[in-house]
Amino acid sequence: MVSVRGHYGAWAVALAVLAFLLLFLVIPVAQVIYVAFQHPNTGAFTFVNFVDFFRNALFRESFFNSLYVASMSVVVATLFAVPLAYFTTRFDFGAAALIQTLGVIPLIMPPFVGAVAMQMIFGANGSINLLLDEYFGFTIPFMEGLNGVILVQSIHYFPFILINLAASLQNIDRSMEEAAQNLGAHGFRLFRRIVFPLAMPGYAAGAALVFLKVFDDLGTPLLLNVNNMLAPQAYLRISSIGINDPMGYVISVILVAFSLFALWVSFFLTRGRDYAMVEKGGGGLGRRELGPLGRLGAWLVVLLILLIVLTPHIGLLLLSFGTIWSFSVLPDGYTLAHYEEVFSTALPYVRNTVLYAGLAALLDVVLATAIAYIVWRTDVPGRRILDYLGTAAVAIPGVVLGIGYLRVFHELPVPFVGTPLASWWVIIVVALTVRRLPYALRACTAALQQVSVSLEEAAFNLGAKRLRTVRRIVVPLMAGGIMAGFVTAFATAAVELSATIMLVARESDAPVAYGIYVYMQTAAGRGPGAALGVLAVVMVGVATYLSHRFVERGRRVEEADRRLAVAQGA
Amino acid sequence: MNEVQAHALHGRAATIQARRAESIRLEGVSVAFGEQEVLRDVHLEILPGEFFAFLGPSGSGKSTLLRAIAGFGPPPRGRILIGEEDVTHKPAWARNVGMVFQSYALWPHMTVWRNVAFGLEERGVDRAVIRERVGRILELVGLAELAHRRPSQLSGGQQQRVALARTLVVEPRVLLLDEPLSNLDANLRVQMRRELKELQRRLGITTVFVTHDQEEANTTADRIAVLDAGTIRQVGPPVELYDRPRELFVATFLGSANLIPGEVVAEGAARVFRGPDGLQLPVDGAEPLGRAWAFFRPEHVRLGEASQEANGMLFRGVIRRAEFLGAHVRYTLAAGALELLVDAPHDPNVPMVAEGAEVRAVVPTRLVRLLRA
Amino acid sequence: MVQLRRLAGTATAVLLFAAPAMGAGENQLVVVTSFPKDLTNVFKQAFEERNPGVTVEMLKKKTTAGVKYIQETAANNTSDIFWASAPDAFEVLKGDGLLARYEVKATGIPDKIGAFPLNDPEGYYKGFAASGYGFMWNTRYLKAKKLPVPEEWEDLTKAVYFGHVGMSAPSRSGTTHLTVETVLQGLGWERGWALWKRIGGNLKTVTERSFGVPSGVNSGEFGIGVVIDFFGFSSKASGYPVEFRYPSTTTLVPANIAIIDNAPHPDLAAAFIEFVLSPEGQELLLDPKIRRLPVRPEIYERAPDLPNPFAGEIGASVYFDVKKSKARYNLVNSLFDVMITYRLDDLRAAVGALHEAEAALAANPNEEAAKLVARGWELVDAVPIDEARSLDPEFAAIFTKKRRKATDVVTGRQAEVEREWDAFVQANYAEARRLAEQALALLR
Repeated sequence: MVSVRGHYGAWAVALAVLAFLLLFLVIPVAQVIYVAFQHPNTGAFTFVNFVDFFRNALFRESFFNSLYVASMSVVVATLFAVPLAYFTTRFDFGAAALIQTLGVIPLIMPPFVGAVAMQMIFGANGSINLLLDEYFGFTIPFMEGLNGVILVQSIHYFPFILINLAASLQNIDRSMEEAAQNLGAHGFRLFRRIVFPLAMPGYAAGAALVFLKVFDDLGTPLLLNVNNMLAPQAYLRISSIGINDPMGYVISVILVAFSLFALWVSFFLTRGRDYAMVEKGGGGLGRRELGPLGRLGAWLVVLLILLIVLTPHIGLLLLSFGTIWSFSVLPDGYTLAHYEEVFSTALPYVRNTVLYAGLAALLDVVLATAIAYIVWRTDVPGRRILDYLGTAAVAIPGVVLGIGYLRVFHELPVPFVGTPLASWWVIIVVALTVRRLPYALRACTAALQQVSVSLEEAAFNLGAKRLRTVRRIVVPLMAGGIMAGFVTAFATAAVELSATIMLVARESDAPVAYGIYVYMQTAAGRGPGAALGVLAVVMVGVATYLSHRFVERGRRVEEADRRLAVAQGA
Repeated sequence: MNEVQAHALHGRAATIQARRAESIRLEGVSVAFGEQEVLRDVHLEILPGEFFAFLGPSGSGKSTLLRAIAGFGPPPRGRILIGEEDVTHKPAWARNVGMVFQSYALWPHMTVWRNVAFGLEERGVDRAVIRERVGRILELVGLAELAHRRPSQLSGGQQQRVALARTLVVEPRVLLLDEPLSNLDANLRVQMRRELKELQRRLGITTVFVTHDQEEANTTADRIAVLDAGTIRQVGPPVELYDRPRELFVATFLGSANLIPGEVVAEGAARVFRGPDGLQLPVDGAEPLGRAWAFFRPEHVRLGEASQEANGMLFRGVIRRAEFLGAHVRYTLAAGALELLVDAPHDPNVPMVAEGAEVRAVVPTRLVRLLRA
Repeated sequence: MVQLRRLAGTATAVLLFAAPAMGAGENQLVVVTSFPKDLTNVFKQAFEERNPGVTVEMLKKKTTAGVKYIQETAANNTSDIFWASAPDAFEVLKGDGLLARYEVKATGIPDKIGAFPLNDPEGYYKGFAASGYGFMWNTRYLKAKKLPVPEEWEDLTKAVYFGHVGMSAPSRSGTTHLTVETVLQGLGWERGWALWKRIGGNLKTVTERSFGVPSGVNSGEFGIGVVIDFFGFSSKASGYPVEFRYPSTTTLVPANIAIIDNAPHPDLAAAFIEFVLSPEGQELLLDPKIRRLPVRPEIYERAPDLPNPFAGEIGASVYFDVKKSKARYNLVNSLFDVMITYRLDDLRAAVGALHEAEAALAANPNEEAAKLVARGWELVDAVPIDEARSLDPEFAAIFTKKRRKATDVVTGRQAEVEREWDAFVQANYAEARRLAEQALALLR
């Protein structure tokens, strides 16, 4: 750690970041928590609301359903993610970058449209079941009740496992695997006994994230009309019984508590197990050529998985080009009219989305870089708190944050704008910033940790002041990680709905996800809504792909160096 | 490793010797990474029970060659035979070739015991037998007490012994060591290389190891293959390589060398090497004509004794540098356009020649060899 | 670094280019509405065309969320108009003193539609269109599954429709609330609930949004949906293979518009209301994507396919009592959720078993089994509270209480009451299912 002399700058930045997090994360959430402990009749402090919760069979059932769905989603997501991660990192696979990009696309499926598209294809009278019924006389209840939630969730969130697992696999020293082969292990046994355990930290991190996201998620169960889960219960209680019903807040508190617990468990499980493994001459699992049969098999598996996980997008595309699609395998006809409508009326949504998600992502990387730097490179007392707060935001359901903002900011007028902060468009940016900060924080922290302290010391040694050093040495060296953080934050913020839906005060302020929601509320709006969804996916997908290329280009140079080093036998 | 353990290691080595030693034969082996060829047409036979070293600088292809024998890396062209069996197209896991990795590649998620038992488990060996054999080999390498530690809790030397035990416990046909000593500190390295050699002698297992350290190769190997730029330059016992290098690269890579550029010309029936400054050396009549280098070791040059060695090459020059190295003094002698290294044994009764002194030097003709570039 | 700088540049550029659209103008009318884009856009465009320089901002919220939004932002109100279907929602806002009184200048609008007064007698909100309730169905679905077209609510309780019906919950959808309340008022509390629970037993799903129902029927996820009329009409007008029918137990309820108290632009708001009620505004309702019943009788001449309530073409037999509805608004929502939404699986299991037993009974009459089945239906139909209690203001207060100040004290906890109800219905459904299975065993 670089010792800090005259560190007023670091102090000021730390305090500013802390103030932001307190104002926009801690206080709103504390508001929500506070209500849960208030007696509904007298306002006194009480646990009676929690007693009510656990004595109610419906809430208990919801609790167990949420647990079940979250666990099963992790299992199914694992089935999707493991082969994709393994094949693309382990074998010389044409278009590995493309597969990994396609593998990330599900994350950017805007809610509402995704579930509608899934219903059209996997639903009780969706394409697949209509075909099955016609040719084989049976149907499969893919989308019935909790099944549907599990399927949609695991398709939506499996990229979290994919990304983390692939990174972990890439970091395993090749000799670890070769040593096992040398001792006679191969195929699945090799994977099970050596490769997977070594990739475990990455897997656990991804799986914990999936669990937590599914546990907290509101949109999917609501869209599939599954109510017996915690998040929908919280939302329904608050939105239909009223903002004063304590049960909604109790459920929110339970959601937050459980998410923090899951986060802590994953942290605890992986702590000290992050095998720093890339050693001299090692450098990742050796990529191997597959035989023609193996190649065919691997492609089949990968394509099948891609087909399943891209179903919502395929359905969305059909919806956006289809005329009428009702109780039939495919739409009755195809048209461009929906796109015409979108391009003539819906562009403000796109502009708002780019603006909000862009600003939020920018704010995120600035905050994340500041937090990472303060935590890892200064000795400001209590600096860890910033890290914990920034990370804990991942455990705050969007609904809880939205409710908290409404409660705290609706009577706070913004000077010169004349509206309360809660209905000013900037609050949407703030909400998105807080929601996506954990992603950016992780990327920036990782990037900073790869920048050797000695590089900074060299700059200090040459007389550079701290701020100049950060600007001229640290930030440029972190550019790749910052870029990755920006893109992740941007891509996921662009399709966020759960917090924004509560905060959009005017239609002209609405982002794409909200626009899609509005379209999807009318019979004639399904096509244009789907077209707008396609537009959003394409927009974010292209951004992701470009950044992937950007990062990959840097890595290819490294990779080439490394191969050369390996070939030359250290 | 302390003396007692070292002793134990020697004493019991014979108990795990089970197989007859096998030879390794490489016939025209070439390996390419994509377009880049890193090994070209390697022919080599390693004899049963031999302790063999691949020596070369970084990028010479020595590790690639070792990995090809183990079945790693891109599939090679040519043939690789172990004993009489052609293993060229056999997958790595079916070769039963023991390999110790440079990084040791101990699995961090398994204890020492599980690491060592792994290969036997993969072979479906009975559990009781596994328990017995793992126990025995861990005792052999002196780690029985650390069996339930994780690799991260071991020192570098202990890790290396676990790696060795893990490889040997499955009784491989041959043993391959990839820079086995490079991760140890200097003292331990000297000790370990002796023990390795002793162990190999006891087991009698055909062993190949890769190193870039000539001293390590010289002290342990029965024979050495010197590699450079993807080809084998010379194969032979250490002494032969040192004394009679066949080419420039081998001469310079093993030890220090004086090299004088020149040309072999015919003088009537006889042939003579002509260097700069009228330097002449009569050579064998069979020596081909053309450019060549006169090669001799610094320790073979004598300072100021020209009269006593009539049959030698004579130099006259100025001492540019004198470096005291303990056992000997290394002088750098500027003789015309040439710079020669001269190693004189250190004698406390004889003062060192001062820098700037004018001296004469001679190297006996019989210790000069002609090399082609 | 270069990339980052470029990134920052782009973001700034976007900000600059987007900024002008962000300021709220003096001539911007803000309308909080539950209506879909297809409806609001038509009125927005027409109004803006007639009033150059004026922009209309449509703020879309579900009815319940809209009410909540206006309540929460009352201290710093930025909205001008509340525009939604459910009269009860307007009653709630009126009760909270959040609406402004306004006298309509337009003439030629009758006072009543069917039995329902069009405007708030106290002048706080006006009806601008009428809606009736019924059900829509997917013709392809019914044909493929060989189902008959239902005609009355009671038809939906039949065994043939088991698993083919979808509806929303009154707590989530203002229009569904009206539908449920209409039936409760039309058939009476006990019979009304029995009907809903038996339909509930046939439900495929309870959707989270009102539009989830037409959406499900349109895509063929389920065959029949309980909906407000314009969902059916507009779906059909959009080309979906669907039809809509009013059963005889229905009511026509006006969709309303009101000026919010302390509105920033009261004059614009008044102009907007006058426009909506004018003949040209009313004619906009005939747009194929809207299809709502106009409140000016002469407009129907231009839409022969639309049933004319002023000519008695809709048998709206129920007089809808707004006071009654308002008194138990939250209670009915909660009761429906406890008995149907959240216990759907148990209810379906019980009703399914009873259907099966009835079918077996029809083929093989047996007095004892018939008794068991009848008792089973009784258990399914049973409601934990009677109508008198539902209208007891003290009891209903548990569901409406709102602590405005820290010093306010109210009694009873909703969660406690709901837990009792839940235990009641869960036991009944389980017992009904057991009885049905017992009957079946007797018949085998």
